[in-house]
Amino acid sequence: MELLNRYLHAVRFWLPKAQQEDIIAELGEDLRSQIEDRETQLGHPLDDDGIAAVLKQRGNPMVVASRYLPRHSLIGPALFPVYQFILRLVILWILPPVFILVVGPAAILSSRHPSLALIETLWTMLMAAVFAFGVITLIFAALERYPHESTLRWDPRRLPRVPPAKPANRPQPVPGYMAIVEVLAGIGASLVWIEVMYWTRIAQGFDFDGVSITLTPIWRGFFWPILLVALSGVPIGLMGWLRPWWMRARSLARLAVDGVSLILTGALVNMGPWVRVTAANLPATGVADANRWANVGMSIGLGVASIIILVDAVQEVRRLVRQKPAGSSIPIAVRR
Amino acid sequence: MQHTVSTNDAFENLRLELRRGCLILAVLAQLGTEHYGYALRKALASRGMEIDENTLYPLLRRLESQGLLISEWREEDKRNKRFYRLSGEGDRILHQLLEEWRSINSSLTRIVEGEAVVSG
Repeated sequence: MELLNRYLHAVRFWLPKAQQEDIIAELGEDLRSQIEDRETQLGHPLDDDGIAAVLKQRGNPMVVASRYLPRHSLIGPALFPVYQFILRLVILWILPPVFILVVGPAAILSSRHPSLALIETLWTMLMAAVFAFGVITLIFAALERYPHESTLRWDPRRLPRVPPAKPANRPQPVPGYMAIVEVLAGIGASLVWIEVMYWTRIAQGFDFDGVSITLTPIWRGFFWPILLVALSGVPIGLMGWLRPWWMRARSLARLAVDGVSLILTGALVNMGPWVRVTAANLPATGVADANRWANVGMSIGLGVASIIILVDAVQEVRRLVRQKPAGSSIPIAVRR
Repeated sequence: MQHTVSTNDAFENLRLELRRGCLILAVLAQLGTEHYGYALRKALASRGMEIDENTLYPLLRRLESQGLLISEWREEDKRNKRFYRLSGEGDRILHQLLEEWRSINSSLTRIVEGEAVVSG
């Protein structure tokens, strides 16, 4: 019965101290009775293999012991869906964009060893995720044991209103005011770009307190393409305002502009530096740092712009897929 | 084939849930006569109520902690065994549970046979 004693010893390890002797005595007695019955059936004593089979059928010692323990859950079924939601939100939708768009580029571009900086960034992101997991789990475990009164008392009249249902899979024309905003934004962006490049001192340098920031010459090669992209908002906006049912044409135009914009930002991202900082009253190392950080900021801005353009392009593709081919009748609701 | 397997699994899970609800009643009813754990399990199994050992013993301890059972260690056949029997409170609860079970049984019969429940 050495095997049986080892099994009982293993179960004992997982039991609460106060109940160990009692439970082990009863469990041992039950197992001995079971072994005796088996031996009576077979007509001979069980060897180690036979006893092992009986013990295996009873189950893993840790599992057997756990049945004697009170059932606790760290986070109960009521709070678990909220916990899961918050965890997903932080670990999938907040941490990765922050690290990919801000922390990572800043670390990589300011480091003398970009590949090492990338690895460090990924490791830091992983550690941040682990830390977030721990903090969120602790908070919800505390809420499980000390529920806030807001979870216990609630008023159906304070529930949010149901949003109006969107027609399923039917793209809507751009509202009139949005089309006007698009026209004005196109004009405004074009004027700002012209102002930046030619008419003010920004093209020759923006000075304050002896520090001068200028655009590097690479931008001049992009003047006309960027101006045309900015101006494209005007005809597209006019189309949306005067011919709102030309949804397919509008989407195609937007998609074309997004494509050109992506090519431009892609080309710009691969060039650099984008700005030059000079300062008569700073030491050389300070100027070098200022240049590095200014260009890091520009690269992050270009990266963010690329992502925004890409998201817009994907949305236009989805609109195109959901629209009927050209030549369909004008919806009555959008005639002006 | 996959549908049959998942249907079997679904039935098995629901069957276990159904039986789980009756286990406490079966154990209390059987302990109207004193039994030790192993004998109790065999007695229940012989009457069609199989119960896993890892379920029975924790259940007995829980019922005892709730004051429904009394246990004592005694020597039998040269071995120490723990014998369980109903306490006074356990006997009272058993009768209440049996009433409840009969009521549920009647309701279920009416539901299955499609009879309306006449209240009052």
